[in-house]
Amino acid sequence: MFFALTDEQQAFAETVRDFVADRFDLDAVRAVVEDPDGDGHPLTLWKGLADQGALAVLVPEEHDGLGLGLLDAQVIARELGRAVAPGPWTTSVLAAEALRLAGSPAQQAAWLPGLAAGETVGTVALRGEAGSWDGRGITVDASGERLSGTASPVDYPAVAGLFVVAATDAEGAPGLYLVEAGAQGLAIRDQRTYDGTARVGAVELADTPAELLTGGTLSGGDAVAALMARGAVLTAADLVGGAREALTRTIDYDRDRKQFGVPVGSFQAIKHTMADLHVGVTMAEHAVLFAAHALDTDDPGADIAVAVAKAKAAEAAWNATGAMIQFFGGIGFTWEHEAHFFYKRARRRAPLFGSADEHRERLAVLTMD
Amino acid sequence: MDLSYTADEEQFRTELRDWLAANIPVEWAEAGFWRSLDDAESFRLRREWEASKTAAGFSGIQWPTEYGGRGGTPGMKAIYDEEMVRAHAPQTVNTLGLTFLAPTVMAIGTPEQKAEIIGPMLRNEVIWCQGFSEPGAGSDLAAVATRGVRDGDDYVVNGQKIWTTNAMHGDKIFTIVRTEQGSERHKGLSMMLIDMNQPGVEARPLKQMSGASEFGEVFFTDARVPVKDCLGEIGQGWRTAMLLLSFERGASGVGQYTEFRRQYDEIVEQMRRFGRSDDPVARQKLAHCLVELECLRYHAMHILTQVEQGRDLGSESSMTKLQWSETFQDLWEAFDDVLGPEASLERPRPDVDLAPFQAQAMWSRSVTIWGGSSQVQRNIVAERVLGLPR
Ligand SMILES: Cc1cc2nc3c(=O)[nH]c(=O)nc-3n(C[C@H](O)[C@H](O)[C@H](O)COP(=O)(O)OP(=O)(O)OC[C@H]3O[C@@H](n4cnc5c(N)ncnc54)[C@H](O)[C@@H]3O)c2cc1C
Repeated sequence: MFFALTDEQQAFAETVRDFVADRFDLDAVRAVVEDPDGDGHPLTLWKGLADQGALAVLVPEEHDGLGLGLLDAQVIARELGRAVAPGPWTTSVLAAEALRLAGSPAQQAAWLPGLAAGETVGTVALRGEAGSWDGRGITVDASGERLSGTASPVDYPAVAGLFVVAATDAEGAPGLYLVEAGAQGLAIRDQRTYDGTARVGAVELADTPAELLTGGTLSGGDAVAALMARGAVLTAADLVGGAREALTRTIDYDRDRKQFGVPVGSFQAIKHTMADLHVGVTMAEHAVLFAAHALDTDDPGADIAVAVAKAKAAEAAWNATGAMIQFFGGIGFTWEHEAHFFYKRARRRAPLFGSADEHRERLAVLTMD
Repeated sequence: MDLSYTADEEQFRTELRDWLAANIPVEWAEAGFWRSLDDAESFRLRREWEASKTAAGFSGIQWPTEYGGRGGTPGMKAIYDEEMVRAHAPQTVNTLGLTFLAPTVMAIGTPEQKAEIIGPMLRNEVIWCQGFSEPGAGSDLAAVATRGVRDGDDYVVNGQKIWTTNAMHGDKIFTIVRTEQGSERHKGLSMMLIDMNQPGVEARPLKQMSGASEFGEVFFTDARVPVKDCLGEIGQGWRTAMLLLSFERGASGVGQYTEFRRQYDEIVEQMRRFGRSDDPVARQKLAHCLVELECLRYHAMHILTQVEQGRDLGSESSMTKLQWSETFQDLWEAFDDVLGPEASLERPRPDVDLAPFQAQAMWSRSVTIWGGSSQVQRNIVAERVLGLPR
């Protein structure tokens, strides 16, 4: 039994952590947050991540990737969440996953090396307004290889060179399609989010030329579902990273902050909340590890594992980042303080690839119906 | 990550499974079976069955063979816990001895104590109780007042213990006694192994909220304890007690997960039977429990990994206790959310017996109290794991 990261995986995590801490601290995050008109995609960070292999992690070796698994990828996602780092890492890695899972060798050869090197930014557009995340929420229609409809919200559409769009064909069958930036009929509408560590927009398609991802291991609804599952796990990892950092910062502060002549962290109301949060975040960390491993190994329990991980991570992140504001007191409610970076990022990401409620309902379907 | 067990461990699983299949009567798996017996009969049956399991070599899985154990791995212990639940094996009757006392004796007992205590415990010839809590000393264990005074080769013990599990079945009780008169708190305590079958010891049952009397009170009135029956050094009872309690660490989450997950499935079955499985609120509540249950399973694998790597779990065991006990309690609260008013009825329909469910629901109130209450565990996590000031 070995339920843990290997020494290499831990070293990888430390490398990414040190790099981000060194090159992209909270002041740098703040600069991105306070420039909502900017593209939110700092190139220093992006190039550095590319140098670390962070964009190549899941790409097969024959396409200049590292050929590693989701377990390795979640290590990076967690560190980026911990650092509330801006940029299209998650969504670009998912675009590459779509190609790896559903693309033909030619499609993979055309796009994967560029995505692995960070030369191309990819993004995924998998559902539309008010739609669910289980494939039924697809709002783009495919007529042959031309797409029409609006997908939203999409991460970093403005900087993306490649879009992976979920669409349903005339028979109602879902599939994944490639759309290139600048394609005819493709428009991007900035949507602005309170989470200043991301840029989000709607992707509007009007008879836009596209290419069906086909000839890979998965196709149709299976490919969409597999991509959703990976999106859920990487998002959960980001949420867990942020939750852990928020909790650590809160504890550090409450150990020192004095009121009534004693550190506020000596009050049992705070202690017990912190203890419960610590247990919750730890369980979410375990759940993300297990879900990533389950997908990597095609475990028959992967469906349950993914739903558990996303539900638990979303809840832990809401709780820990909300508590950060509460247990810093007034300063935690200010713009100058970093608590809102963590809180807003958690709050925006919690529903992506299925909210906690949606994943619990998924568990209900899997075990009660 | 590698979530598999070794070939030897899987071989052990096969052997154990075969033995359990051949040695557990089918009716024992039926929901109402154990409740249909009276307490004494149930205890006798379990006591005998467990002794036969020991004779077959399936007890003391991780203990060294010199003590009658199997000399197995932590993985085998996890497999054992899991298979016992799967096979509907009866609950052990000597839990407190097996979990706490035996490993302590192996660690610090005299050769005579090792020889006298461990074998008879494994064969269930001697049932052990734990005498820690007193009316005035619960969470604050250092407040114990039961006193022992030296008289020749004996100590003479006076005082009272309470909430003693198996008080009415116990043969011996490992007891924290204040042996240094006038000492305070953690000082001047000793761990005594007291024979309950003597005139100076009286056990009285206490009726629990469930109606059962699994615990009781133990009164010592000039009870005699030979000096050789002190475990660890005289006056070092606190240290012995802490060592003893540390053996709860690593307690099998794998087995607990298996048990609670089965209970979850049984609740789902009732949910369907009563036409409640499409109620969105009930679905959410129960699914929330599944999330926590699955986390318990992952956590158990994490703990097993730590144990296999030879790491000291330290205060992390407080997290394990919080996770399993709070989840178990939530699950049995969800039972009522799921079934509504039917949840409180023993026989909502002529062919449906919910009494075993209600017994679990009531029992679930105790697990956040014994073995260190949830409040005490949160204090430990906050102070010793997170470093918050006392
Ligand atoms: C089913 C069952 C079986 C048991 N079996 C045994 C046994 O075999 N042997 C044995 O020795 N004991 C046994 N116990 C006793 C058990 O260990 C004690 O009940 C437990 O330690 C709590 O002590 P108490 O009952 O005196 O409660 P108290 O310590 O008086 O606690 C009352 C309440 O105050 C809270 N509290 C206490 N201290 C703090 C604090 N510092 N901060 C915040 N909250 C606090 C507690 O959490 C609890 O909610 C058993 C108990 C039960 C319910």
